Amino acid sequence: MTGLFVAIGTVVVAVALGSVVRVLSGRVRGSAGQVPAAVREVLDPAAAVTLVQLSTEYCAGCKQARVVLTGLARDTAGLAHADLDLTHRPELAGELRVSRTPTTIAVTASGTELLRVGGVPKREELLTSLRPHLAG
Amino acid sequence: MPNSATRVQPQVDPRGPRFAAWVTSVVLVVVLATGWWPLLAAQAVVFAIGGFIGLRPAPYAALFRLLVAPRLAPTTEREDAAPVRFAQSVGFGFALVGVLGYALAVPALGMVATAFALAAAFLNAAFGFCLGCEAYLLINRLSNTLRKVGTAR
Repeated sequence: MTGLFVAIGTVVVAVALGSVVRVLSGRVRGSAGQVPAAVREVLDPAAAVTLVQLSTEYCAGCKQARVVLTGLARDTAGLAHADLDLTHRPELAGELRVSRTPTTIAVTASGTELLRVGGVPKREELLTSLRPHLAG
Repeated sequence: MPNSATRVQPQVDPRGPRFAAWVTSVVLVVVLATGWWPLLAAQAVVFAIGGFIGLRPAPYAALFRLLVAPRLAPTTEREDAAPVRFAQSVGFGFALVGVLGYALAVPALGMVATAFALAAAFLNAAFGFCLGCEAYLLINRLSNTLRKVGTAR
């Protein structure tokens, strides 16, 4: 009988967790600080802001994130997209404090992190948050 | 610049793994409700085939191709097989611990391990959220730390 309760409890917890993840996923969070050199290497010097997508080979949402971000970079002046594979770079993942992929960090040409998005970004929300940094 | 966008990976119909996750969820609920661990052992074998051999010979994927796919409209949508396979191998780990728990008369261990596998399978089935894939960075960081500890000795 205990097992049945465990099963029901697990499903209830999973539904709650899934709902929370669904709400939080793709949301823009503010962040700050300088990015490590390994990230600075992939920045586009010609763009005001580069969207650095952190991916792994075992990432389920990275393909969708790539579609959103490359599209956004193509349609927006001063915005670039770069992909950084963390599959074999656990130290860098630790340094960047990313625990899930895709995570996207928006970085200025000088290497300052502006914001980050966990999960597949929502195009309009991301663009709205980036606008102040793209003007001029 | 080489990146994963240009890398060619094996692709699957995303509805296949989703179907497999539903079947897995039902199997794991039955395991928990009955405590009949041979069924969990069978599920461990299913995880192992998907994780270590490939999705094509994986039993639930075969079931999907034979029984479900012919009744659905064909889709051009594809997802990478690598995350799905990685998640299957994580599932294998939990199922294995679960089997050991039940078989060695530590039912609490069996239940907890099975519950984790059920949570992951259910999140995948109901929300399309791949917990095993999300855990990759964490697992990788942990194993990297352990490796360092190992070499320091």
